Amino acid sequence: MRNARFLEIFQLVKAYPNPFGEAIRVVDGFDLIVPQGELVSIIGHSGCGKSTVLTMIAGLNAISSGGIIVDGHEVEGPAPNRAVVFQSPCLLPWQTAFENVMLGVKSVYPFASKKDRVALVEHNLALVGLAESMHKYPREMSGGMQQRVGIARAIALQPKVLLLDEPFGRLDSLTRMELQDVILGILDRQHITTLLITHDVDEAVYMSDRVVMMTNGPGAKVGEIMHIDFPKPRDRLKIMEDARFYGYRERLLRFLDDCGHAKEAAKKKPAATPVAAGV
Amino acid sequence: MSFKYRLLKAIDVAGLQILDPVVRLCYAEEPKVQLKRIGLFIVIPTITFVAFLGLWGYLAPKHTTKSGEVPTPSVVWDAAKGILRFHEREDAKTADFNLTGVRRETELAEVNARMAELEPAAREAAAAVTAAEQAAREKLAADVAPLSEAYREKRREFAAAAKARQAALLEQAATIAAGDADATTAFQRAYAEHEAKSAAEAEIIKKMRDEQKAAENARNPELAAARLASNRIEEELQFLRKRQALLTAENAPLRADELKAKLAADEAALLAATEPAQRLALAKSISTQRDSLAQLEAATYSRPWTLPDQIGRSLRCVFLGFLIASAIAIPLGLLCGLSPVVMAALTPLISLFKPVSPIVWLPIIFIIVGGFIPDPSSSGILDFFNAIPLLGGVGINPAFLASALTVALCSLWPTLVNTALGVAAVDKDHMNVAKVLRLGVWARLFKIIIPSALPLIFAGLRISLGVGWMVLIAAELLSSSEGIGKFVWDMFNNGSSQTFAQMFVVVFVVGVIGLALDRIMIVFQRLVSFDGAPTSL
Repeated sequence: MRNARFLEIFQLVKAYPNPFGEAIRVVDGFDLIVPQGELVSIIGHSGCGKSTVLTMIAGLNAISSGGIIVDGHEVEGPAPNRAVVFQSPCLLPWQTAFENVMLGVKSVYPFASKKDRVALVEHNLALVGLAESMHKYPREMSGGMQQRVGIARAIALQPKVLLLDEPFGRLDSLTRMELQDVILGILDRQHITTLLITHDVDEAVYMSDRVVMMTNGPGAKVGEIMHIDFPKPRDRLKIMEDARFYGYRERLLRFLDDCGHAKEAAKKKPAATPVAAGV
Repeated sequence: MSFKYRLLKAIDVAGLQILDPVVRLCYAEEPKVQLKRIGLFIVIPTITFVAFLGLWGYLAPKHTTKSGEVPTPSVVWDAAKGILRFHEREDAKTADFNLTGVRRETELAEVNARMAELEPAAREAAAAVTAAEQAAREKLAADVAPLSEAYREKRREFAAAAKARQAALLEQAATIAAGDADATTAFQRAYAEHEAKSAAEAEIIKKMRDEQKAAENARNPELAAARLASNRIEEELQFLRKRQALLTAENAPLRADELKAKLAADEAALLAATEPAQRLALAKSISTQRDSLAQLEAATYSRPWTLPDQIGRSLRCVFLGFLIASAIAIPLGLLCGLSPVVMAALTPLISLFKPVSPIVWLPIIFIIVGGFIPDPSSSGILDFFNAIPLLGGVGINPAFLASALTVALCSLWPTLVNTALGVAAVDKDHMNVAKVLRLGVWARLFKIIIPSALPLIFAGLRISLGVGWMVLIAAELLSSSEGIGKFVWDMFNNGSSQTFAQMFVVVFVVGVIGLALDRIMIVFQRLVSFDGAPTSL
């Protein structure tokens, strides 16, 4: 049974106090409902508050007002059922890939036998293609391999929601494509509800079921939502040949472009009310 | 990995990077670059050191002190050898005290042979000294006699001259009519002249006397050399005589055997005795002999402290203090770094006590420790420390504990501050990971916080050990705890040029050990730093 309201975000606000005026609302009234097993990308200009939304869902960032509900439970603080893959791999440099993944597994399955835990860790490292180098230290691995460990660590927690915070932002385009396929491959099997923060238009179109376009901050919210109707599992070559790909791409780029213009306009006329761009 | 790179890595890990260009040069890797590095890291420091020794050797004899001349490098080198010889001789004596059987006999034979060899030499040296003394006396007499003759002559001459001048003045005074102002002025002038002459003569006399004294005190290198040679032989002979005694009359097993034999004889006599009074006397004698046998078996050679022994004791003391400091500073630092409340609570105490000098702490701690150990001969605390392996052998006493605690109190601050800093500076991303994984307090502490703070903690420990080593010498000096500091103090109080040179030896000993401790800590620090740390050889 798929839960149509598995992840629910309503009227989410993040306000930072401003000692010389009213609080600055970076995110203001963000609404989103994600059904179980869907992959939703959130795209927007840098600094618009995408990551803020994600860290609030992760529980790493306090919510100013509004709420987030995951599978019927309101989010209060971080928990392993909402696993995060950060932009930088954030591995512990004094532990091997195996130990890094084991750290999370141990805290999520405190009562599992050692053998089961080891099997789980090895399985997940194999999933991301690191079966050969699971006992290497982070400094002995390339950036792409480190990020693979980061993904394995998140997946191994068997989370309800997988939060990807620009996970490929620091990688070269070839590695990025490889890792996109690694994640899609895993999600095709495990159907984890996933939020992907990105500013790469092609990545959003290729990977997502839906793309959420965020308006520019401060006061960022959902500007537009676009369904991507490509069949799953995704085939990069077929999609690249599909005419719809360019339509989706065009629409995303236009939205981002409009947002950019609105931002400049707002800069020129500082007295103007915040512009609800797009739509 | 080839042997070359394994060797280079081992050098790197051991903190001996100075050898790196040498090894690379041996493998003919970019010889020009390596030669340049050798020049920079080996040749130039060596030149500086040699220049320093040269300057020292040049300047030292220019200054004479109460304790004799400031020692030159070669004198200090001899003093160092003397210290080592003393230590080796004490080792030999300690061993002799308990030797038995064939080993004792061979050693004794060796000692006797050496003595037989040395005795004629000693007699010759003594005769040489006597001869040299005689020669010196004659030379002195020859040197001084003309001087003292001239001096006496001059004194007589000046005395006569002064007498004559006084008579002349008296005559002049007789001719002056009362109220004759001119004549009075002339008389006064004449008197002033007389005084000036007397002063000049006194000056000449003083100069001559100084010359004479200098001649009397003139150094006689031949005599000094003869005395030195004789002393050296005599010293060794004395040592050999002591060894001979330790191998025979004072040898513990030998004496025990004698006593046992006597005991057995007495016991047999007691068994065969018929008279009651005789029995009583024998029983009493057996009882006293048993007591002295027990005493003899527990006896050890009463060995004086030698510098190497004192260095060992100092090292143990500094490590005990350092361990205590680390045991306090690391947990406290972790708490400070983790909790702003603890940090706020402890900041005033840390800032207040950090700058306090060891010289202030030591007397306070000495009194406090003394309060815990009212009777050093039967103290549970001392027994506890004496039971610790490696530590017990050095005879823990309250002075030792006070020194160690002073070291701890003065050296814990760098570790404390660095640990707090390291914990507070844990990467925020790593803490986010810990939050998402919902790690427990202990997992967070041991998997994330401590490993990431380790490099800084070790940097703090390294500073602490350096501070502790400096503090220790002062603490031992003040508390008279046997160790390097006590050695310096004893040498200072002896106040001969020999002990003056030994104090210079201590400077280098302390410096070299401090350097070694620092290098060891650097190696540890590198082993725990996770970025680019050497994982395997």
